[in-house]
Amino acid sequence: MKDFLDGYDIQYWLESAPQGYLKNTEYGHAPGEREPAVLLEDPVLREQAIGVTVQLVVGERCALAASSGLINAAPDEGSKRFLATQTLDEARHVEVFTHRLLDLGVKQNELEDVIRERANPNLVKFAELLLEKVDRKDFVAGVVGQNVILEGMAFNVFEMMHAANREANAKFAHTLSGTIADERRHVGFGENRIGSLIKEHPERKADVEKLQREMSYWMLATFGAQLRQGPSPEEVKQRLAARGVAPSEGAATWQGVRLGDASPAELESALGGTILKEFKIRLERIGIEYQTPVAP
Amino acid sequence: MSDPAQDLHALPPREFLEHVHSFEFWLGSVQGYLAGRPYGHHDGLAEPAWTDPERDRLVTILCHYCVGETMALEGAGGLIRAAPNRPTKVFLATQTVDEGRHLEVLVHRLAELGVADPEREIERRTSAELIRFRDRLLAFVGSGDWDAALFAQNVVLESAEFAVFHRHARSADPITREVLLGIIKDERRHLGFGENELGRRIAKNPALHGRLRAVRAELDPLVLGSFERTLALLGTPAAERSELGRDYLAAVERLGFA
Repeated sequence: MKDFLDGYDIQYWLESAPQGYLKNTEYGHAPGEREPAVLLEDPVLREQAIGVTVQLVVGERCALAASSGLINAAPDEGSKRFLATQTLDEARHVEVFTHRLLDLGVKQNELEDVIRERANPNLVKFAELLLEKVDRKDFVAGVVGQNVILEGMAFNVFEMMHAANREANAKFAHTLSGTIADERRHVGFGENRIGSLIKEHPERKADVEKLQREMSYWMLATFGAQLRQGPSPEEVKQRLAARGVAPSEGAATWQGVRLGDASPAELESALGGTILKEFKIRLERIGIEYQTPVAP
Repeated sequence: MSDPAQDLHALPPREFLEHVHSFEFWLGSVQGYLAGRPYGHHDGLAEPAWTDPERDRLVTILCHYCVGETMALEGAGGLIRAAPNRPTKVFLATQTVDEGRHLEVLVHRLAELGVADPEREIERRTSAELIRFRDRLLAFVGSGDWDAALFAQNVVLESAEFAVFHRHARSADPITREVLLGIIKDERRHLGFGENELGRRIAKNPALHGRLRAVRAELDPLVLGSFERTLALLGTPAAERSELGRDYLAAVERLGFA
């Protein structure tokens, strides 16, 4: 375990993140990058972008509260130090996505109201459940909820969003790529640390599996609800065309799905399939059997 | 006339606080003094020819520092949930990683000095006063008492560490000195945050000053007792030991908490 934690120390984090892929960025993107004009001008597209970003802020606020709260529950000093880096990563994510809301035209004095009104109730429920475990200083449940379920599942969503924005919105894509790099580290820590703890405490396996079943439900329900909101692919194309935005040359694809043409049901199916496939592999590595949640 | 985009101090108060509490500001602040100093110091600094008693004394002192930094890490992390708004939460997240880094560089220094199991050694050499201070600090943090916890963490603990590290750096070997000077730079930021945040809250609620005075009266003896032990280990003559206590008391008073 000591060797595994050596790869997650603060020196490594400093060299790879602040002095690595975050160097010469501001709020996660290259200096001077802006949201595309069409997002700011078209009210429907702008509302959709705000709605998505609010969920990112809510998820990252939950992750910030959980990772900082878990420092006191961590059983060893190396895990405490890793969680310090994760705490700052999550605070940075809160900051960059909040900044994006301001860039999208949300006024500073309306920020909290917008976040409260538009937060997905399934995500709020997930956050409550996770923070209850953190408050009880249950390190195993907290890390499973935070680093395996929340981050593991959100990871695929970020990748899909990154693919969709790579050409259409370089600013947002850059912000997402830094977030994805951070989350890869967090998921790696979660897998390794929980894998070793489950081996040490096999009696926890059953309640971790139960927790996975319950928490996965709220995450999948969040993704489903978000994908079903907003304009259809046809409407988006019409709105872009009306403002003179030509379709990009190479259609954005992710997991074989053309993102600009896919219906919400197709996106949900591709996302759900990818999440579950990777999630099951991850759980197997930890020594946990995937428990299918009830259909959201 | 100042350009707000260029001059930080020309920003309106809210934007100023938002900026100086941000990840971006932290990143700009630390990049200069952390680059090229893995684990807190340049490669190639020479280790002195230690005698066994000298090395053992330094190990004990560093173990005390590690206890202080571990409580600072747990305290800063725990305070995030109680923080009243996003900028203060983000600032505390930067402080959390600073404290984690301090712990890491000090543990690394212990390893450089030949300590095979730093965690066990830290536990073995911890002083009773520090443990009592830690218990009180984490009790304030655990209860979500923002004012008392922030005062204990960012004023009392940080002032104490600032005074000790500053004094120790003057006589330390080159490697330990560089490690300590890097820590001191972070602590200036933490002290400034505590002073500003509590100063604003006292201005709104003057009764808070009396409450913090009571917290201080409880914690000062633990800090001063801990100093006494550290200075004895450093070999500081008894007559000079009171100077460190005065440094600490002056630092707290300079911050407006006489």
